[in-house]
Amino acid sequence: MTMNQQLKQGNYITQAWLVILLALLYGSALAGVHVGLSDRIEHNKRNEIYSQIPNLVPDAVQEKTQEKTVQGLDGKTTIVYQACDAKGQCIGWVLRGSGQGFADRIELLVGIDPTLSSITGMYVLDQKETPGLGNYITDPERFQNQFATKKIDPPLVVVKSDPDPQHEILAITGATISSESVSDTVNKTIANLKQPILDLNR
Amino acid sequence: MAASEPTALERFINGILPENPVFRQLLGMCPVLAVTNGMKPAMTMAAATASVLICANIIISLIRGFLKPHLRILVFTLTIATFVTITDRFLAAYVYTMSKQLGPYVPLIIVNCLIISRCEICASKQRVSVAIADAVGMSIGYALPLACIATVRELLGSGTWFGCPVLAESWWPRWGIMVLPPGGFLVLGILLATSEWYTHRRAARAGM
Amino acid sequence: METIINLIQIALLAALINNFVLHYFVGICPFLGVSRRVDMAVGMGCAVTFVISLAAFLSWTFTYYLLRPEAPLPAWIWKLVGGSADAKIDLSVLSYIMYIFVIASSVQFVEMYLRKFFPSLYKSFGVFLPLITTNCAILFACLEIMKQLQNPNELWGLHEALTLAVAGGIGFTIAITLMAGLREELDLCDVPKPFQGPGIALVIAGIMAMAFMGFTGMDQGVKNALSSLLH
Repeated sequence: MTMNQQLKQGNYITQAWLVILLALLYGSALAGVHVGLSDRIEHNKRNEIYSQIPNLVPDAVQEKTQEKTVQGLDGKTTIVYQACDAKGQCIGWVLRGSGQGFADRIELLVGIDPTLSSITGMYVLDQKETPGLGNYITDPERFQNQFATKKIDPPLVVVKSDPDPQHEILAITGATISSESVSDTVNKTIANLKQPILDLNR
Repeated sequence: MAASEPTALERFINGILPENPVFRQLLGMCPVLAVTNGMKPAMTMAAATASVLICANIIISLIRGFLKPHLRILVFTLTIATFVTITDRFLAAYVYTMSKQLGPYVPLIIVNCLIISRCEICASKQRVSVAIADAVGMSIGYALPLACIATVRELLGSGTWFGCPVLAESWWPRWGIMVLPPGGFLVLGILLATSEWYTHRRAARAGM
Repeated sequence: METIINLIQIALLAALINNFVLHYFVGICPFLGVSRRVDMAVGMGCAVTFVISLAAFLSWTFTYYLLRPEAPLPAWIWKLVGGSADAKIDLSVLSYIMYIFVIASSVQFVEMYLRKFFPSLYKSFGVFLPLITTNCAILFACLEIMKQLQNPNELWGLHEALTLAVAGGIGFTIAITLMAGLREELDLCDVPKPFQGPGIALVIAGIMAMAFMGFTGMDQGVKNALSSLLH
């Protein structure tokens, strides 16, 4: 009986040595790739946000940006970016928000001024809206630039014509829902993080 | 075919047209449809698939003498999954925007039947040189239809090719449907029918 | 209540709006291969839904506790072997290998279970089971769950992951059954010769995908309606 078992065990080793060897080999290859590339990948991910900061907050310098962790009103902790100019003076904030669009989630960045009274820029990071209609939310001329002059209070409203320069966003023709989801997401993100950021300054 | 095991050259040519993975064998259809809304993602995808296919074919061909029949598929899967992970990391590190755009379709190369079928049919039976020729041929055969579909969809859908404007918006209204999912199905369907029609016509002519 | 509305939204998105087959193009191979008869299509759909839920459960568990960047288990083991507490351990590089083995073993498990306890059921859709291992839809569901778990702000719980998986499987079943019904009718039609076979199937799929695009935006509507009902 024991002989038999031993035989069987020996048999398993002869059967599986190749798989075990390959697993070890591949494991070390993966570890090598991970160690070699993870910094670069992290950098790429960060850069996606950081490269937009100068566009969202005028005069901001990418390298001077500081990350702050705050707890939003919804109880979740989030990272906000404090944009600074060349002298290191805080000149605004960049917040990250996401919300449901017409087709899929929309992720965006909002730049606001240091007193948290007006928006200085908006940039859509990720979207899958309908090409030719909803995806114009990524177009600076058609849509994004109009956010730069808006006031935070009262919240933004989407209209189809003659927008008020301070509180109203002109919807993209044929994509009112996409436009509304963007402005709603902006409103929600600011409402969620405004008080925590003010507390941070105190 | 008379010879039981095709030579390297035969394998190479086979992959491109006679046994084209997309038109003839209908293998690996998910990325063919999913990433062909532009030339750039389609070619990145073709390159990623090619690198995985070539690496997997080389490794499997090297160890083919030690393969146990019942552990074969396990070894194939392990190899493919490893190379896909490595490719995915490289894409994320060096072409981040593309990697983000392709999203889940890079890891889905693991279940691309094309690669596992080449490991099974060719690499686990033949020399390394033949396996490489087979992998390169199949990769070209896979990249061709991807390029065809992506060209049609990108030109008609957004008027660009590789992101460069080709058709001016003033005289070519954008066919939004082409860059949306239905466009992929329609273009591939018509392309398959065209290739079928062409084969039939050639066969008919040869018969005459 | 918020949670239930959220789950309904996830389910609608996965089953209809972003249908696995017609929007994400995963699971095309069985969609074209096993869609000639309605009963076979339903069998395939059920098998996929079953395996997808099992694989989603397993992959959520592994990802949540083991593979995501802030997973508790590796950190605990690291502390146990005397590593410093603030070391960042990220095993996500192993996730693809993990998923494919989770899928392969759940397929094996389901196959064995069915053969032992439900021989009749095994006979009717057992033939599809080995095919499912290379079905992209299942790996795709695992990857979607992974994407959600890597985002620390919107960490998905098990209920959300399972909803996505089951709804995705149902969406696949809907698409493949509709397709099979259409193809049965197609047998009576005079299809141009080059289009016979996969050609016409893909054109039909294209038209179906257009029809399914009509569901876009429905999730928001349902969500708003449900929220206003509650308040």
